[in-house]
Formats: sequence, structure tokens, C-alpha cells
Amino acid sequence: MHDGSGRIAVQNLTKQFGAVTAVQNLSFTVEPGSVTGFLGPNGAGKTTTLRMLLGLVTPTAGAATINGRPHHQLGNPARVVGAVLENEGFHPKRTARNHLRVYAAAIGVPDQRVDEMLGLVGLSPAADRKAGGFSLGMRQRLALATALLGDPQVLVLDEPSNGLDPEGIAWLRSFLRSFAQQGRTVLVSSHLLSEVEQTIDQVVIVSAGMTRYYGPLDQLRASQRSRVLVQPADANGLVTALQEAGLNQVEPTQDGRVAVSGATVQQIGDIAAKAGIAVYGMQEEKADLEQLFFQLTSPQYGAGATAYPQQQPYQQQQGWNAPPPGYQQPGQPPQQPYQQTPPPGFQQQPGQQPGQQQGWGGQQ
Amino acid sequence: MGNLIKAEIRKTLSTKSWWGLMIPAAVFAFLFALGWGAITNDLNDFLGSSDAEELAGLLGVQLGELPVGLLSLAHGINIGTMFPVIFGVFALAGEYSKKTITTTFLTAPNRMSALSAKMFTYIGWGVAYGILIVAFASLATVLTVDGPGLPTASQWLGVLGAGILATTLATLFGIGVGAVWNSVTGATITLTIWMLVVENVLVFVSFGWFGITWLGGVLPNGTLNGIVGAIGAEAFGAAGLSVPGELDEDLQWLLQYTAGAPGAFSWWAAALIFLAWTMLFFIGGWAANQRRDIT
Repeated sequence: MHDGSGRIAVQNLTKQFGAVTAVQNLSFTVEPGSVTGFLGPNGAGKTTTLRMLLGLVTPTAGAATINGRPHHQLGNPARVVGAVLENEGFHPKRTARNHLRVYAAAIGVPDQRVDEMLGLVGLSPAADRKAGGFSLGMRQRLALATALLGDPQVLVLDEPSNGLDPEGIAWLRSFLRSFAQQGRTVLVSSHLLSEVEQTIDQVVIVSAGMTRYYGPLDQLRASQRSRVLVQPADANGLVTALQEAGLNQVEPTQDGRVAVSGATVQQIGDIAAKAGIAVYGMQEEKADLEQLFFQLTSPQYGAGATAYPQQQPYQQQQGWNAPPPGYQQPGQPPQQPYQQTPPPGFQQQPGQQPGQQQGWGGQQ
Repeated sequence: MGNLIKAEIRKTLSTKSWWGLMIPAAVFAFLFALGWGAITNDLNDFLGSSDAEELAGLLGVQLGELPVGLLSLAHGINIGTMFPVIFGVFALAGEYSKKTITTTFLTAPNRMSALSAKMFTYIGWGVAYGILIVAFASLATVLTVDGPGLPTASQWLGVLGAGILATTLATLFGIGVGAVWNSVTGATITLTIWMLVVENVLVFVSFGWFGITWLGGVLPNGTLNGIVGAIGAEAFGAAGLSVPGELDEDLQWLLQYTAGAPGAFSWWAAALIFLAWTMLFFIGGWAANQRRDIT
């Protein structure tokens, strides 16, 4: 039997569909009591990984366990793990209540649980309507109700915000947080960091089937450092002056400016004034998480791969992974590590165009 | 397992496919039995041909006392049996096409238990189909066949038992084919064309051109039909252990064909061979499902 820990463990997981490697040597763990985001662009292998975790797809190599066991050894698995998956099927002619009654019987929970779950996800008024007429948002709610039928310890959600209206997303966020606060485990995938940023504590970032980062979101946040780009009359003079003032993270840039980390605009202005160097402009740059996410995931797309050759796939023995070294290397042209726009390849990925977003469906 | 069987029953009862297929099963069984009953009853009354006289003489019965009602029962049941096959295809292939298979596998201890629950539940459905189909075929037979041509009570019970066996195996056969080829449309169309057209043509051509009489006794549709049809054929002395040595082989085949079981060796041989076909697809589908990626 399983160990009841609520821990999800993915070890050296690999899946090949014919010649296509969907997931390559992926490893991470998800601890109970927190909401973990599983992030990566579309096609990064997130869905395949979650389906391997749930026993729906057989790994080519490696293992994915919940409570120390593969899904088919969990006993009554829906009591341990509930899943909201993309593309999940409902018989179009079956009502929401009947759908839940089928699986309540399979799990062995009393039928009253069906109405409780319908109420929880806000579908009570639509309980006797056929699922075929549901909007995407309502289908997501029904999928969540199904996942929660067995009162599971672990909840796995694949892009759950698709089709939810802003109110639904806010509700889902607070629900997932309170679920995790009960000491349970939540793993939620998304291709948009901003969508889950407010919900998650931990993050696993994958791209091209490999782990790029995993660890606390706060650590990722702390790793971003702002820097100031100064345009002085005398770049070399300013570098010398700043270094004499004890600032050693100072690099001239190729366009004649000076990039300074670890100092405020005021400090730099004071030092420049004391040294008698005219300053024509200062620009404070602060990379946000989203930009970091782009950089961590962009190698999947041709242009990014050449722009960030220094990024290495995650290796398990390193433990909590720091952001790739390239990110913090000073002296690079500003548009690389601190770019204002995503790498060119990123915008071409499927699913990013507004037209392909599932929209903010909500209830019909 | 009890939970999963309960879930399977709810699954079926909460959509319309079960009565959507039961109604045509009953209607077709009734109409085919009605038609064959009318034809063979006339045959019984008026046929004075030497073949029939010869046959009656061989069997030591009066021509008017041949249980022709078995022929209409067999034809009614045979056509009705198509529907539990299709119903069986829906059981698993339908879950793939509607993608409900994901939740089914997520809420079952493992795939084997999910499929076992389906198998047990559909045995029950197969029995229900059998009773329904035999009942409607019997009703049509009583309406069209005169008293002397009706089967004896024990023959009728035999038909009921064989009919239930046939529809139950037919349902499992459908599940098996749907499990191997998880497309409702593909499996249903292919099976329908195979069972109604292709196999009949094969059996006819091989008999007409090559004189092969046994082909219908080994192919899936022929053996499925033979479970009930051979009872009629045996009563006419055209199948089973009672085949008289003097009976011409061609006449024997024609009698079997009339009984709806060309080439059938006996009802139990037909049942065993069809069971083998069912197991072939069921085990194949079982193995395919253990490994199939649900994406």
C-alpha cells in the first residue's frame, strides 16, 4: 500500500512517442502542504508527465509515483489523487449529476457527495443538464467536482484556468490555497506563469521535455536583481569611480553605457557627481518573473537556443537549482539577459496567440 | 469490484444507447421471425416435393409435424444478435471515443479491474438481450406457425438457453472487437458489413464453387448463428449426431442454411468455436488496453 505521505516523486522520467521524445529524463518532487506550479510552454511535455503520473501513459523509462507508489498500486486511487485533465471526456448525453453518480459508485462514496461537489463548484443549477451543452468553464468545474469526489489527498490539475472567467479563476486560486493549507498536495500546470504566480509556492519549470528549474518561487524571485544602466560622458571614468566607491558589479556595455548592479540610482548619481562625470541618463531595469520564465524556457524555440547556449538542463544532484548561470553574468548586451521583449521564437509558439486562448467562458 | 459494476450499470442506464439498441433488436427479431414463420408454415402445409417427403421419411415423421417453428425462431434470433454485438462495441470503444475512458481508469484500482467489471456487467446485459430477443422471436413464431409446426416445450427451452448464450457471447465479442480497435464507427460498420454481407458471400461462394460445406461452421457469424440455428438443423436431421447417412450432403447444407446455420456441426460445437473467436478478440483487446497510452 501507499505511504500516505502526499508526496509526488518524478524520477528520471522519459517518454518517447515513436521518434518524438516528449519527456526527457525529468525529475522533481512535490511536497504536501504547498501548491506547486508545473510550468512550461505548450509542447514542453507537461501533459504527458501528468498523464504518466496518473498511470494513463506508460513511461519509456523512469518512474512517477504518488505516496511512493505508481498509480495502479494505490488501491482505490481516486481516494488518493484527483485529477483535472485537459481534454477530459464527458458523455455529451449524460447529465452532470449522472456523470458524478457513475464515478461516485466507482470510488465507493455515498451519492450525497455528488450534490455536495456540485454545490462546491457552483454547478448545482446545472446538475440535470447534459454535459454536452456545457461551456468550457462549466466543463472545468465538472472536472474539478469529479476530481474531488474521493476527497483525495493529492490534486493534479492540467491548465485548469482554461475557460474560467476571472471570478472562476479567483475562486480556484483560493480553493487551491486552502486545499494545500490542509496539508494536502496540489500540482497545477500552466503555460503562463502570470496565471498561477499568485497561487503557487513552489515551481517546476520544464521546456523541451527537460527540467529547467525547480524550487521555491520566492528563491526564483530573489534571484532577480535590478540593475541600473547609466549613460555617462566618460564611461571608463565612471567605472573607476564606482569601483573606488566599493561597487564591484560594474560593467561597461557595448553601446557605451555602464551597467551597475547592487546600487540605487541615487548612489550612482552621487558618486558620478563627486567624480565630476556628467550623466545624461539612467535607466533602472528590473526583470520580472515572466521574463525569467521566457529565458528559462526559450531554448525550446530555435532562436532562443542560440541566444542562451549556457543554460544547462537540470541535474538532480544539484538539489534546489539556481537560475542558470548565464542569467546573472554581467557584461552582456542588455537585450540578452534583461531583455524587454521575449526571444523572437517565443511568440511563435502555439497557443500564445490570443485567438487560440480558450477565452473567458464562464457559465453559459 | 462491486463498486465498479455498479458504476458500469449507472453508466449504461444514464444514456440512451441501451434502449436505442434494444428496440431495434426486438423489432428485427420479431419481423424476421414473422417472415420466416409465414414462409415455412406454408412450406409445412403445402410442400409436397420429393425432397421434403424423402426427408420426412428418413426422420420417420409426418411432414406436417416437422417443427418448422425452430426455423423462424433461429432467423429472428440471428438477426437480433447483431445488436448486442454493437452494444458490446460501445462498451469500451464508446468510452474511448467520448474520452470518458480517462476518468474510468482514474477511478478504478487498475485497468484490469475496470475491464473485468465491464465484462461482468455486460454478461448481464447479454442475458437481458437474449431474453428479449427470444421473447419477440417466439411471439412472431406463435403468430405465424400452426400448432403442429411449433417446437416442443423442451426444444423451446433449448432455444431460450441457446439464445441467451448466443447474445451473451455476442456482447463479449463486441467488447473484444471494440477493445482491439477502439473506434465505435469503424468497428460497428466493419462488423455489420462482415456479419451481414461478407461472410455470407464467402460461405455461399465456397459452397457453390468449391463444394465447401463447413466454412460457415467456423467463421464468427456462422458459429454465432449456429448456436441457435443448429438446434433447428438438428431437429431436421441436418446437423449434429443425428445426421442420417442417407441424407445428401447438398440437401443437408441447404437444410442447415434454411435453419440459419449453414455448415454448423452442432449447437455446442458452434458455441465453442464462437467462444474461441470471442476469447481471441477479448484477450487481444485486454492486452492492448493494458499498454495503450491514454493521451
